[in-house]
Amino acid sequence: MLFLENVKLALLAIKSNKMRSFLTMLGIIIGTSSVIAITTIGDGASSAVSAEFDSFGKNNANIYPNTYGMDYSDSSDRFTSSDIAALNERFGSEIEYVSPYYSAATDVKIGRMSGQFNLSSVSGNYIHVSGGSLAYGRDFSQSDIDNRREFVIIPEEAAKKFFGRGDVAGESISMSFAGQIREMTIIGVYRQKDSIFSRLMSGTSYAAYVPYTLWNDAPSEILDLYVGSSQSISASLDKITSYLALIHKRPADHYIGSSVEAQQTRMTQIMGVLSVAIGAIAAISLLVGGIGIMNIMLVSVTERTREIGIRKSLGAKTGDILVQFLIEAMLVSALGGLIGATLGIGVATVGMGLANVSVNVDPFVVLLSVGFSAMVGMFFGLYPARKAAKLDPIEALRYE
Amino acid sequence: MEENTRAGAPITPAPLCRAPAQGAGISGSTAADTTLGRAPAQGAGNKAGGETGSEAEKIIEIRDLEKVYRNGAIEVAALRGVSLDIHKGEFVAIMGTSGSGKSTFMNILGCLDRPTGGIYCLEGLDINEYDDNELSLIRNQKVGFVFQSFNLIPRTSALKNVELPMVYGKVPAAKRHARAHALLDKVGLGDRYGHMPNELSGGQRQRVAIARALTNHPPILLADEPTGNLDSKSSIEIMELFAELNNDGNTVILVTHEPDIAEWAHRVITFRDGLIISDRTNPPKAPM
Repeated sequence: MLFLENVKLALLAIKSNKMRSFLTMLGIIIGTSSVIAITTIGDGASSAVSAEFDSFGKNNANIYPNTYGMDYSDSSDRFTSSDIAALNERFGSEIEYVSPYYSAATDVKIGRMSGQFNLSSVSGNYIHVSGGSLAYGRDFSQSDIDNRREFVIIPEEAAKKFFGRGDVAGESISMSFAGQIREMTIIGVYRQKDSIFSRLMSGTSYAAYVPYTLWNDAPSEILDLYVGSSQSISASLDKITSYLALIHKRPADHYIGSSVEAQQTRMTQIMGVLSVAIGAIAAISLLVGGIGIMNIMLVSVTERTREIGIRKSLGAKTGDILVQFLIEAMLVSALGGLIGATLGIGVATVGMGLANVSVNVDPFVVLLSVGFSAMVGMFFGLYPARKAAKLDPIEALRYE
Repeated sequence: MEENTRAGAPITPAPLCRAPAQGAGISGSTAADTTLGRAPAQGAGNKAGGETGSEAEKIIEIRDLEKVYRNGAIEVAALRGVSLDIHKGEFVAIMGTSGSGKSTFMNILGCLDRPTGGIYCLEGLDINEYDDNELSLIRNQKVGFVFQSFNLIPRTSALKNVELPMVYGKVPAAKRHARAHALLDKVGLGDRYGHMPNELSGGQRQRVAIARALTNHPPILLADEPTGNLDSKSSIEIMELFAELNNDGNTVILVTHEPDIAEWAHRVITFRDGLIISDRTNPPKAPM
């Protein structure tokens, strides 16, 4: 019997039992829609996060002493300018940037404008290696760092807010950090790459940079580091941490290097585990949906026993009846898959729209879910369809 | 199989199941033809009931047919050696009380069931030699069923119901529509193509069923109590339709327990306890 005839028959059967068909599909709809919504949101989130990591620079790493199991870290563990000098001497060709890391928050008031700045300590070249660019003015020179000049680089938005214009190089600004109030001179205005974090941060506080030497060589717990983009970050970190351990006379594994790349890898691993878990849940819901389909198909076969008998008496072969019921089961579940996919994409689009992240629907995922639903329908429809096909025509015709 | 020497079942060396030159084989579909009924092969020569002149083609040959149902250790013989010939163009009524074996006989005639002994040849085909799927094809091409309870597919239009045997016979859609239209016109339902079975009266449903039975030009029309669910007026109309179809050359086999319905046939075969107890010709009833 022709395939198209069977599809028409199946559609008729679905149409004449709309409520039942819908309820049968519901398991499949819920299964596929949740899978598609979650995978789409997951994909969007992980690509947004990985873009974020890229904006930090994958060759960025922090080094800190391993204080696990200790109440406090020994100040001789910490980093000073002598460590910077030693590292620059030993690994000068591999390291693009290295600085002890300090941070401070300071309130700033200029005229009627007030706001908060988050200050980070840097050495020269930070704006460039971190992926930003200077809009006005200049970056810190080595002599600025060495001579502890009270210079600051502020973001363009802050310049516009406090001074009403971008080019504010040479203006001064009063800031309080590292134990004293200072009259800082703005030597540069930088422009950050657009990112989720910068959008989230805007309006609350501004990230500004000052020379690390202004902290007067107070030991720092964290070393901020960028290696050359041609270097393998993990190999470089291994060498650097063991060298630092040597200088500080500590065991070779005393210092921990945590790279953005490693964090990203860890994040990707977590996402991978998460999608496997979601896949398992989806498989369970599709299994439940499939059992629902089998149940309803069995009811349908019993209800239509007489019809099956009529069809057989009119010349339907075993295979004709089998295919008829299989196609019906497949169509119900594929339709459920399609509705579920549409629903899932809708939910993902709305959800990601709220988070202001673009949705990227993978047509392969949609196709896979519809195809997989049809397979579930075929698998669970097989038993009822075989039962229908094997009916004895005489018994079936007699069925009331 | 038992020995073939029981009473009323003589050894017949006559060759059975020799396929006639024409109309045999189950592969050829004639359903594409939109003409109605089968043209009588020998004109009016076989109109007289029971006349089995050698010029009329044998459609059905049955020898020593047996059917034993096994239910655990208990065996029930529904047919105990039935022999019978039916020729092209005959109008045969099969009578008998319930339990006489007539229903079992009809199931075998309609190729819905196989005998446990003996031979049944339909247009030269020994149905014992075919598997279930081949029997489906034989039913599709060689048997037109009409049932007591109409047995139309629910929620399916009259036209689609009539087309169904052609769908299983793989007739192209355009030809199916044309033939189904022509057949519904023929049975007097030309204005009800699109009606669903539940929108039709009993008599009309049976007409649709008769149109459906005719679609693939089957050599036999097999009607099982076709008037059993009808009032007397509709019954007469349906029997007139069968008489007319027989007049056109169709071979009609009617299973009934009502003597006045059997009177429409030209030959009346009566079953009792799994055996034929009478096989008489009947003066044809004049169409009213």
